[in-house]
Amino acid sequence: MAAGASDAPVMAGDPISEEEALRRLRLTGDPSAQYYAAWWLGRNRSTHPDAVPLLQEALRKRRPRDPGAGVEENAVARNAARALGKLAPAAEAAIPDLLATLEDEDHGLREAAARALGDLRARAAVAPLVARLAPGPAVAGALQPGTPRLQEPCEALLEALGQIGVAEPAVLAVVTPFVEHERPLIRSAACRALLQLTAAPDWGQRLVALLQHPQLQVRHAALMDLGAAGWRPALEPIAATLAENSLKLIALRGLAEQPSASHSEAATVAVLDAMDALL
Amino acid sequence: MTASPLPVVELVAAVRRADSALGLLQATQDLAAAPHPDGAACLVEVLGFNNPGAAVAAVDGLVAIGEPAVETILSNIDGHNYGARAWAVRALAGIGDVRGLEVLEDALGQDIGPSVRRAAARGLGQLRLSALAGPQRQAVVSRCLAALLAGCGDGEWVVRYAVVVGLEALAQQLSPDAAGIALAPVREALEWLCRDPAEEAPVVQLRAALALQRLEAVDG
Repeated sequence: MAAGASDAPVMAGDPISEEEALRRLRLTGDPSAQYYAAWWLGRNRSTHPDAVPLLQEALRKRRPRDPGAGVEENAVARNAARALGKLAPAAEAAIPDLLATLEDEDHGLREAAARALGDLRARAAVAPLVARLAPGPAVAGALQPGTPRLQEPCEALLEALGQIGVAEPAVLAVVTPFVEHERPLIRSAACRALLQLTAAPDWGQRLVALLQHPQLQVRHAALMDLGAAGWRPALEPIAATLAENSLKLIALRGLAEQPSASHSEAATVAVLDAMDALL
Repeated sequence: MTASPLPVVELVAAVRRADSALGLLQATQDLAAAPHPDGAACLVEVLGFNNPGAAVAAVDGLVAIGEPAVETILSNIDGHNYGARAWAVRALAGIGDVRGLEVLEDALGQDIGPSVRRAAARGLGQLRLSALAGPQRQAVVSRCLAALLAGCGDGEWVVRYAVVVGLEALAQQLSPDAAGIALAPVREALEWLCRDPAEEAPVVQLRAALALQRLEAVDG
């Protein structure tokens, strides 16, 4: 999902050049400068040859979590992972670093690494992602005592598997039980992954049903998930969802851009017409 | 008894009384269904309540009221709430009154909210030009066109998408005598949006191609 969750640092308005971003990312003694620089390189889709190696370097600087230390190396590493995902496919060289980060004890880092591996369509990540989810919804998806987090960043892990697109029986077997998770956001992520992996309309229908959920946050997630899967039958339910037009437009963009050749031109025009009506 | 419509004051009071999201939605729908100028101020207030369903109904109501609602909308643009501004600009776009031109220009050119800029881009294509005398129409078209051409370089895909929609709508409205002057830059802009290799949103290119195809069909 990751709807609207802005990872823009506070001083996002600070206009800097690519050279300046690279310079700041080299300032290993100044994590807050690095934090912004890592975000900047991803946001601006830097193609500079130094960008990926420097972001890899920032990923390797992660360390055991030190709560309350302010902007720390792990925050830099998190932004570096996200940036590497945004630079896909040019960041393929960073896949081994991201795979190592997926094993980190820091929940937030595992989450960022999983998303980046999904963005990179890293087939090498399928086995470790499956391994993280394999204990099932009652274990990997159990609440971490004293926090709002689950044991594993399930949403990110599920979404990455859907995005990478390896529809092997072992993957489906691990993902499927999560469609019954108690949290609707996890159910939504699991349905999205299964829809992407199998194209079976059942999963799309379940997401459409979540568009009626009483919580706005769940409707947002289902919108983003239907958009990510590009499921055309959701066109009218998306347009009718009680949610901001901005999010419906993002979801419909996903439908319009769905590459499948089986769609007629008229069907694409219908999506575009629905988008026009939401502007 | 239930068949006779409630007076507008009652409908406005019901909106003000609503104490749940669903109650607000229903009361707003009722007020919007009786499009009356006296309801405009209340409908404009609803735009700022952060209730998308009710805001949609309020925009529909304002568009149904039409020109008599324009002054109320223009004098209540909320400088601090871009959600509310986006809905107000949508209402202005739907009404299409040229008194909204300056607000639409400023919104597309300067507003920090992409939702405001995108609503303005669409609105700049659908100001009702038919009511205007020739020279005034020409001046309005030039200003809309200039604002939309500048909007082609917006950083947000959804705004560029809306610029395409605005350019298409503006071109469709041009009378044949004016078309010769304005159509060339519109087509150039659409072709650029269609082919710009830096365009990161394929949907913008899809929409620009559709616009060109439709203009071709009209133009022959």
